[in-house]
Amino acid sequence: MILLESHNYIIQNTLADKLQKPTSLDVQFVDFDSVRFHLSTPERKTCLLLSMSIRCWDELVKYGVNDVLQRVYGDRVSPQPEPEYNVSLVLDLEQFPSEGEEREALIKSISLLKRNALAAPFELAFSAQKELAASGTGQGELLAVHYRDEEAIYVQASADRVTVIFSTMFREETDRIFGKLFLQEFVDARRLPTIQSAPQVLYTTRDPPLELSHIPNLIQTDDVGYVTFILFPRHFVNPIVAESTISHIQNFRDYLHYHIKCSKAYMHSRMRHRVSEFQKVLNRAKTEVAVVDKKTASGRTLVR
Amino acid sequence: MSILAPIICDNGTGFSKVGYAGNSDPSFVFPTAIATRGSAAQSTRTGPAVPSKPGHLASKRGVEDLDFFIGDEALANAKTPGYGINYPIRHGQIENWDYMERYWEQTIFKYLRAEPEDHYFLLTEPPLNPPENREQTAEIFFESFNIKGLYIAVQAVLALAASWSSNRVTDRTLTGTVIDSGDGVTHVIPCAEGYVIGSAIKHIPIAGRDITQFVLNLLRERGEMAGVPPEEHLKVASKVKENYSYVCQDIVKEFRKYDAEPYKYFERYEDEYSVTKKTYGVDVGYERFLAPEIFFNPEIYSSDFLTPLPEIVDGVIQQSPIDVRRGLYKNIVLSGGSTMFQHFGNRLKRDLKQIVDRRLENNTSGSQVKSSGVEVDVISHKRQRYAVWFGGSLMASLPEFYTSCHTKAQYDEVGPSICRRYQIFGSAT
Amino acid sequence: MSNVLRPYLAAVRSTLTAALTLQDFSSQIVERHNKPEVEVGASKEVLLNPLIISRNENERVLIEASVNSIRLSIKIKQADEIERILCHKFTRFMMQRAESFIVLRRKPVKGYDISFLITNNHTDTMLKHKIVDFIIQFMEEVDKEISEMKLSLNARARVVAESYLLAFAA
Repeated sequence: MILLESHNYIIQNTLADKLQKPTSLDVQFVDFDSVRFHLSTPERKTCLLLSMSIRCWDELVKYGVNDVLQRVYGDRVSPQPEPEYNVSLVLDLEQFPSEGEEREALIKSISLLKRNALAAPFELAFSAQKELAASGTGQGELLAVHYRDEEAIYVQASADRVTVIFSTMFREETDRIFGKLFLQEFVDARRLPTIQSAPQVLYTTRDPPLELSHIPNLIQTDDVGYVTFILFPRHFVNPIVAESTISHIQNFRDYLHYHIKCSKAYMHSRMRHRVSEFQKVLNRAKTEVAVVDKKTASGRTLVR
Repeated sequence: MSILAPIICDNGTGFSKVGYAGNSDPSFVFPTAIATRGSAAQSTRTGPAVPSKPGHLASKRGVEDLDFFIGDEALANAKTPGYGINYPIRHGQIENWDYMERYWEQTIFKYLRAEPEDHYFLLTEPPLNPPENREQTAEIFFESFNIKGLYIAVQAVLALAASWSSNRVTDRTLTGTVIDSGDGVTHVIPCAEGYVIGSAIKHIPIAGRDITQFVLNLLRERGEMAGVPPEEHLKVASKVKENYSYVCQDIVKEFRKYDAEPYKYFERYEDEYSVTKKTYGVDVGYERFLAPEIFFNPEIYSSDFLTPLPEIVDGVIQQSPIDVRRGLYKNIVLSGGSTMFQHFGNRLKRDLKQIVDRRLENNTSGSQVKSSGVEVDVISHKRQRYAVWFGGSLMASLPEFYTSCHTKAQYDEVGPSICRRYQIFGSAT
Repeated sequence: MSNVLRPYLAAVRSTLTAALTLQDFSSQIVERHNKPEVEVGASKEVLLNPLIISRNENERVLIEASVNSIRLSIKIKQADEIERILCHKFTRFMMQRAESFIVLRRKPVKGYDISFLITNNHTDTMLKHKIVDFIIQFMEEVDKEISEMKLSLNARARVVAESYLLAFAA
């Protein structure tokens, strides 16, 4: 598995299960970036309530998340979210389409709840870019999404591009060094002819890029880095391309961290192997103590 | 930031149970299997295929170690050419750390979708797990995954904790005897105040797999399996075991009951052959009560293991220190899928009580002092199947959990040896 | 083995072989104690002069000899941040398993990355030249392993970056 997927397995599995055999249910689980879910059957077995709490909800509301969710989920969005959560979907299993592709698609789209919520600022920026392109100049508003405690995504539209900036923060020395190496490769990878059309990537440590220079109180230490993706109009020409771009770019941080961890796991297995090789070499140094079977007169083995 | 729910990972020999604390059931239950490139046999011998030949062209790409499947997907892909299936856990203990590390990697990132840096983890270990294994586990979780905190609990203790959910349990004690019967092996483990009495543990080589085999033998002997396609035999046997079996009070009476009114007691099991879509059926009879009977009368199945379960349990308790024996008799807890048979607990309790009472009678005859009797109780509860996981979920929801965990900071300070020490918490006594 | 490395390793090998002349020696200070004198350091007369074999300022070996034990510490080449972290990880991983490496010390001597402690017990139960072989092979392969790990990490980072960006292009 190289790329991470966007949908949530637990939602997908549970829904598929419950459609087969509705039972009462009350589970809580999480997704990347401190997103919490609560799936329950408050009234009857066939009516599920899926609630989501996401750290940057207030910001997302400003960027029109309600419209996005309304568009995707229609009247399944509950007018009153469950307490302690930001948004709730009411899923009446009896109204689900009968088995087949249609049902699969609906389940899939529900399991993409987090992705759809986080898509709001990107969609806003994409449409802002189209307006700016028509007028020729100018810059859109800088949309900040503080999706984690110490990290944020900034999205800004200009006349010919949309800039997406991730602030990254590594809590550990090893991760920081691995991360730097990985990010450098992101910058360099674009030289390859096959990925010329990919967004341009820039990476700076410590000092924020120009777009963010006006924001006060940015932490400036060596642990902080900024990754800038420059999305050109070709990355969101039509809704299908835009959709996959959004899903993909949202996953950037998790993708990076996933691979940092995988490389550490890989290093571990290399080291395990190497250490066992060394072990063999050292064991060769041990002198063999010859075990001679001493027998007594009756033929039994003599054990001291 | 609100603390996100801890993740509970119970990796057993056959199945792994993983999910978030606070729930009553694990989010995922799948086989502890990993399908990797390269044949299964070769790679376990010579270590990971990639590091062993560093000069190889393929390893220059550097990501073939990400090409693997776990759980159900592993089984599904086992037949794909180029993939071999591996079981990283043998007899409850982790054998292959490379596979296990990758197994955890995918569990966390693909299935749980959690950023491990934000979570506490509760892992389980079998009784008598060497401390080195615990250190290796800590090394993986803290160094590869940078988790916030780790607690490694003994499975038997978690099973005891799970029994707190039963309404028959009034005090939350961590003293008791755990009968843990999974797919491969059955353990009888005495625990005193949260610590396993290692010297008294007994293993019984009869577990789920054997029961299934026994059911299959019985069905074959009666000629029921003639109409069933051979590939489906095991599946049918395990379905019969899971859906129709129960523990009876007396075999002889039960046989008589069946013979008097076969129509009342015989059940019909029907299924569809997945290849030809033909339906077939078997009549389920004596198997219903004979299957779990192999715990109580092992001689009907096995010729080399002949001690009934109640006797083993009694032996285990008698081997434990004298001052905890009362507590052990009073709180016998069942855990694992193979203890799910109806009336299993009642039968065990009755047989054990008989053994204990007989001994008391022999001892007290002739002496003036009259024993007050020993209380024997077997606790069955609703969460028995995933008792260990559920116990973990329960423990991790307690506020003391966070203070009992080893945190990342402590690990960085002390190193893996920090996990040699472990702290009991949660018990009310 | 690269040719540039050979004289360095040859020097270590002959020095180590010469230094490995150990005998049983009870403590002169505490009755019925028999400890590696190089670690105790209490009786000066049984210690020999320590010796440093240095290839360059980043790679050197310190050999401290005494009557019943010698301590050998290695500083491994670390060209950049990544090699430093990989080296640190690797030595730590190995020292974590010092139990099974009999001659390995759990902590390195200050200023070095990894230390070995060889006592007369070890030379009695193991073949001396094979112990030397082990140390030399370790020195040879640890450099190789670290640079290989670095290469594979780089390769990995590249693949990871490419496959991420490729998904945009597709």
